[in-house]
Amino acid sequence: MISFKNSIKKIVTFCAVAFVYLFFYIPLAVLVTFSFNSMPFPSPWTSFTLMWYQELFSTPYVWYALWNSFIIAICATFLSLALSLALVYMRLFRRKSSMVESFFSLFYVNLIVPEVVLGVGLLTFFVLCSVPLGLMTLIVAHTVLGLGFAVPLINGRFAELDIRLVEASLDLGATVHQTFFSIIVPLLRPTIIAAGLLVFIISFDDFVLSYFCSGTSVQTLSLYLLSMLRTGISPTMNALSTLLLLLSSILVFVFCWTTFSSKAQE
Amino acid sequence: MQFFDYIKKEIPFIVGVPALVWQVLFFVIPLFCIVGLAFTGKPFEYFAPFFDPVFGAVLVRSLIMALSNGLLCLSIAYPLTYFLAFKAGRLRIPGLFLLIVPFWTNFLLHIYAWFFVLEKNGFLNTLLLSAGIICEPLNLLNSWFSVMVMMVYYYMPFMILPLYAQFEKFDKRLFEASLDLGASWLQTIWYVLIPATMPGIISGFFLVFVPSFGEFAIPELMGGDKFLCVGSLVSYCVLSAETASYGAAFTILCSCVLIIASVTIYWLLSQAIKVRA
Repeated sequence: MISFKNSIKKIVTFCAVAFVYLFFYIPLAVLVTFSFNSMPFPSPWTSFTLMWYQELFSTPYVWYALWNSFIIAICATFLSLALSLALVYMRLFRRKSSMVESFFSLFYVNLIVPEVVLGVGLLTFFVLCSVPLGLMTLIVAHTVLGLGFAVPLINGRFAELDIRLVEASLDLGATVHQTFFSIIVPLLRPTIIAAGLLVFIISFDDFVLSYFCSGTSVQTLSLYLLSMLRTGISPTMNALSTLLLLLSSILVFVFCWTTFSSKAQE
Repeated sequence: MQFFDYIKKEIPFIVGVPALVWQVLFFVIPLFCIVGLAFTGKPFEYFAPFFDPVFGAVLVRSLIMALSNGLLCLSIAYPLTYFLAFKAGRLRIPGLFLLIVPFWTNFLLHIYAWFFVLEKNGFLNTLLLSAGIICEPLNLLNSWFSVMVMMVYYYMPFMILPLYAQFEKFDKRLFEASLDLGASWLQTIWYVLIPATMPGIISGFFLVFVPSFGEFAIPELMGGDKFLCVGSLVSYCVLSAETASYGAAFTILCSCVLIIASVTIYWLLSQAIKVRA
């Protein structure tokens, strides 16, 4: 009787969990399937085709938008990594200063403030200073967002490091520079890579900030997708989505791999 | 010479300065810009139009949406995380991984994907029709249903991750001890597990609640024109120069509502813990 009850319990649990996973993956599966269907959406499955991919590759707007997003994401990633490493450098030699510590907590706020508010603020700021909206403003905006992730991650890891390593390095005659670049940076490398990937993906996929700070001249991937969404369903968009899903899955895999392998090393 | 020595001593600080300048210039000042813009002109000139039932309804709608999204995410994510952390065994990490992977893709793409499921000739209708549950296709798009489905779908990982982090820290022997000492499974969940994972619940709830209050792409694209939300209204106002000040004022108003709501919820949750303890 007990085993019967147990097996019922197991089946129910399994169904519930399976349902959640289906909830997550069915839309994506349908999306990917229709990118290979030779007839556009409302018609059912007819035959396999790569036609939409060909059409996608011959649409210049997509590549223009993708290229913009790519440039913005790369710049935002490098800027936020450089700035957060500079902060680590500063913190390395001014550990006890409470002013510096309170500056660090300032960066955590980037994540708490809703993105819409940040977007509105940046837009008003740029308009007030009569900065023309475009690639530069987008890079600035995405870097602010990226700092919210990079600074807590990298500084958190830095705080976990054994400070005796730094002291030993300095005692043994290394300069401040040498200590930073040959002790701290190598130790932080997994975190730097992980934070960089995170910022890259977040910037690449960001919609709200791009919406506010892009002006009319620049189109990013998110804005392109939005305009496509407003016009309706087209199979080329499915093809694009499939490629993007593939790309981000690879990036996430690298991210997890670097995080887990660095954890495993310890 | 003394000057150069001083500079040399302060190099680490100087290196760090650009980051701080960046943060102040592009984060702190813009936030003050909103306040400045909203309070220019006559006092409260730009706030006045928003004390109107129409805009009140928008605010309430967004609040309800954010609140129900937080609760729905919690009620789905909690059992799921429980399963992943305690029952899934070796499938734990892959299971978690599978839940998070899709969310690193552009979220507009997920909205697009849900069109295929919820459309009149979409997947769900076809499935229900062929199963004989319904006789004619349902209108699933442009409703509360489609908005909430999309919201829950998108915000779920924000709930799962902090919950999972908390579950990982939880000592499973506490669970066994409670069961050994005669508590039922439900009692153990209620008196041991939930209090112990409360920090995860709180941070997950706010990670979902705060951004979904300002969400504007999902209600706009999934809900049609019926679901004007705080985020959409703000973006309409701010993006045209004549109404920018009104947009700024409304942003401040909404932020105040959000802060009050968050503090209230936090207070209620912490009261709930105190009462139980």
